[in-house]
Amino acid sequence: MSPVLYYATTLLVFFFDYNILTWGLNIQFGYTGILNFAFIIFMAIGAYVSGVFALPQANGIAGQTYILGLSWPFPLTLIMGGLVAAFFGLLVGLIALKRLRSDYMAIVTVAVGAIAYDFIGNVTGLFNGWDGLGGVPQPLQTRFNIDFNTYQFVYVGIAGVVMVILWWLANRIYSSPFGRTLRSIREDQDVSEAFGKNTFKYRMLAMVIGCFYAGIAGGILIFFTTALNPSGWTTGETFVVWTALLIGGTGNNWGAALGALLVPVGFQEATRFLPQFPGNPDLIPALRNIIVGGLLILVLWFRPQGIIPEKKARFNIFRIPLHGAPAEVRSRAASIAASQKEESNVTDG
Amino acid sequence: MAIYLHAFGFGLVTASILALASVGLTLQFGVTNYINFAHGELLTFGAYFAWLANAHYGWNIWLALLVGALLTGIVGVLLNLVILAPFVKRGFPVLFMLVVTFGLSLILSNVILAIWGADFRQYHVAPDTQHSIGPFLFTGEQLVIIAIAVVAMVGIHILLTYTKIGKAMRAMSDNPTLAKNCGIDTERVTNFTWLLSGFLAGLAGVVLALNISSFQPAFGGDFLFVIFAAVILGGIGKPYGAMAGALVIGVVTEVAAIPLSSDFKNDAAFAILVLVLLLRPQGIFASEGKA
Repeated sequence: MSPVLYYATTLLVFFFDYNILTWGLNIQFGYTGILNFAFIIFMAIGAYVSGVFALPQANGIAGQTYILGLSWPFPLTLIMGGLVAAFFGLLVGLIALKRLRSDYMAIVTVAVGAIAYDFIGNVTGLFNGWDGLGGVPQPLQTRFNIDFNTYQFVYVGIAGVVMVILWWLANRIYSSPFGRTLRSIREDQDVSEAFGKNTFKYRMLAMVIGCFYAGIAGGILIFFTTALNPSGWTTGETFVVWTALLIGGTGNNWGAALGALLVPVGFQEATRFLPQFPGNPDLIPALRNIIVGGLLILVLWFRPQGIIPEKKARFNIFRIPLHGAPAEVRSRAASIAASQKEESNVTDG
Repeated sequence: MAIYLHAFGFGLVTASILALASVGLTLQFGVTNYINFAHGELLTFGAYFAWLANAHYGWNIWLALLVGALLTGIVGVLLNLVILAPFVKRGFPVLFMLVVTFGLSLILSNVILAIWGADFRQYHVAPDTQHSIGPFLFTGEQLVIIAIAVVAMVGIHILLTYTKIGKAMRAMSDNPTLAKNCGIDTERVTNFTWLLSGFLAGLAGVVLALNISSFQPAFGGDFLFVIFAAVILGGIGKPYGAMAGALVIGVVTEVAAIPLSSDFKNDAAFAILVLVLLLRPQGIFASEGKA
């Protein structure tokens, strides 16, 4: 396999993976207005849990210590990772989502991020501490004995299928009544509450679903790289997802995908091979983070809606079912429809 | 038992550091109504400015502390003038202001990393001896840290109670629109608040670095959620609450480090944060409104 092809397929897997991550954050922030500043933690939880479900029992020979080690087959391991990440999303939501102010959610996620990082690093028996998990068996590889080169393509397929399912689900949620409620909460929580919506429940659902996405993305990542340690999920990684979403367009999954292509895949990869400065090995990574953070702020200043903005929902009178409504209601609807059509003709022309 | 009493003493030192950091954060929140997620990086800036003065130019550490704090105050004002105030003027919702300050925290921590590198740094200070005061054991430095915090807290009290600008800050914290309509120059008060918040953060950063003896670019940001725990325990936006919250969190984290392990002492602060949010989210000293 040529190195170019190898590199291209690797990038493709990363792109698919970041799509899933960015859509998950979009469901939380873009749809619902939840501030999750520890988004990458849920990806890490999903990755580690998928890993320990797939790995065999830790016997200490390879020097790794971790919980479980169940050698489960592939789709189950991935789903378990997503579910456990979603469960931790639920716990965080229980602490913070009851309050009306969005600040509390942000504070709790920052605290969770700091705690989780130290905890997973220090408790070596959990996921092998600061060294991280390694040698995670790749899905379907041993069973079908696929050679290394072909497997690269097989994995693009696996990640692609998972991505397409989650793409469909994210868009389905967006256009459903559930998604509409989420957006109404984002615009004004008090008004949704006044219309009888249990905003706590809806925000919790968005939180849990978003964290499930993060967990699945984590599973896809660890089965591809076969290893993960805490340096792979620092706060900087959370920023990458945030910047991708805000640049692409909050509330729009096409925008989120464009952001995932531009920031993590485009920018991060383009700068990956920059030479290191002797004497200050942290300079280049630091500059990359400064640029990512700077992009985030510039985008908020110059184009807060992102490159592909969310479509403005337009009240469409033609689609309201009026069969069986009283005649006067129907005639009034018809006259509104006519005037709206006229108006749209004027604006279109 | 003596070991717990000693831990209690260390707790008083940690509480002093926390009080400086959390009062600054809570005052700034009260006036601007959004949380600054880059507050931890202000602590780091203070520590590095003082390190520059102390280790690089050879100044006395306490003089370096003052210079570091003043420079950090100026950084705070610049952040407000260049980035935050323009966003506020545009009417950015709080939700997005939080994202902006979150982005700032990444930028600032990496600016520090790019300038000073990831190495651990230490101040040049004379070796210290321990003094036993009652049942507690303190180093001379720790006694000065406590004294700095006490002086700063009394100063904040006098500022908020007796001076015009302090009263203006409280007025803005209660109702910014009304304060503006009463003729308060809200822009000036906001800038002064950032100066004060940065100054206190700078002080906190230097004394934190002194207390833990070595520091690196992430140390202020890592301390942020402990500051949050103190701020929320006292009721967000309440300076006196933040002082009390700092006392509780400082003592509890140090005492909890004895049975747990110092690796997990900050988990105690997290546990308190979670409990407060579940049981009394408005904080111990809450009034109506803000929560």
